[in-house]
Amino acid sequence: MSNGNKPHATGRVQAGDVSQRVGVEAIEARGVNVGELIEKLIDAAGAEFTTYYYYTILRMYLAGHEDYKEICEDARLEDRAHFELITPRIYELGGTLPYDIRAFADRAGCPDAYLPGAQNGRRPMSNPFDVVTNVTAAQILEVLLEAERCAIRTWSEICDLTFGKDPRTYDMAARILNEEVEHEAWFIELLSHERDDVVRPSGHFRRGTPGEGPYSKNAGFYNP
Amino acid sequence: MAPKAGNDRLYQVVFDLPGGARTIEIGGDEFILDAARRAGIKLPSLCERGWCCTCAVKVLSGTIDQSASLRYYEEDRRAGFALICTGRPRSDLSLRPGAVEEMRAHRDTSHLPVPRGTRAPHITSLPEQPS
Repeated sequence: MSNGNKPHATGRVQAGDVSQRVGVEAIEARGVNVGELIEKLIDAAGAEFTTYYYYTILRMYLAGHEDYKEICEDARLEDRAHFELITPRIYELGGTLPYDIRAFADRAGCPDAYLPGAQNGRRPMSNPFDVVTNVTAAQILEVLLEAERCAIRTWSEICDLTFGKDPRTYDMAARILNEEVEHEAWFIELLSHERDDVVRPSGHFRRGTPGEGPYSKNAGFYNP
Repeated sequence: MAPKAGNDRLYQVVFDLPGGARTIEIGGDEFILDAARRAGIKLPSLCERGWCCTCAVKVLSGTIDQSASLRYYEEDRRAGFALICTGRPRSDLSLRPGAVEEMRAHRDTSHLPVPRGTRAPHITSLPEQPS
């Protein structure tokens, strides 16, 4: 069959050539700068990964607020799920994660979500029992909220870069964005209640299981 | 919410934009990006915590307090870069926005960390509001 009868059998990739990717060529032809997109995805993956780490600490320090802990845990596990979701796409596009985890963390597109009172991560740890004791739930919720806001800006930008050009990355970015928007709404509700004693409902209930990830794991939505 | 810096002075800040210069007054307690937005100047930003460098500007003249930034280095200041999302004026200023790629090159040269996916989108300024 000639190319004239198969209009999509065009482009630079020859049959049997494994050095190039039609999956990349197709989105480049639609205007995606793949190199820029890979850089953006690595920055975003770094942010999700570091956020997962820092949320592990923040969750521990929500001492006495078991409801907040559970919600922080949902956000923590869903951010890890986002990292897992982004990574295959980086490799599909021909990219790779940095070989050194320090380089990976350093280039994260969003700030480290440091525990308040830990001097932006520089608090000396003279021994393993050096626990921060004067941090409040409101301070932690502020860190969580701003981390989610950075994630929303990041994934909105990736949606903009890929909309109508790269449906696979767009679909992934939109799923992640959906969950980041929910996380922001949770932390607005909690911080508003905890710090300002003002009711600002998020509109959501807790996940069915911790870190359920209804969008990023294609799980069922809460819709009884 | 950003802590107040305890400086209620007003400073003249000139933005060198593609369509020409815009001058606005910014208080010493304000972040420069917030004030620019209120004045209708559209500038890029992402993390808004002084980390990602999307809001980077070249400082043509003047002094900025970057104490609220999560990741800003003395080398950045010496090289004439500022992060206006978390920068407060400490003198009259002249700034050229859209310097993220220049700042990344500087960080690379200085072996300092920086995200690699940020670009400077088209920077515009809304028309002056009628007085």
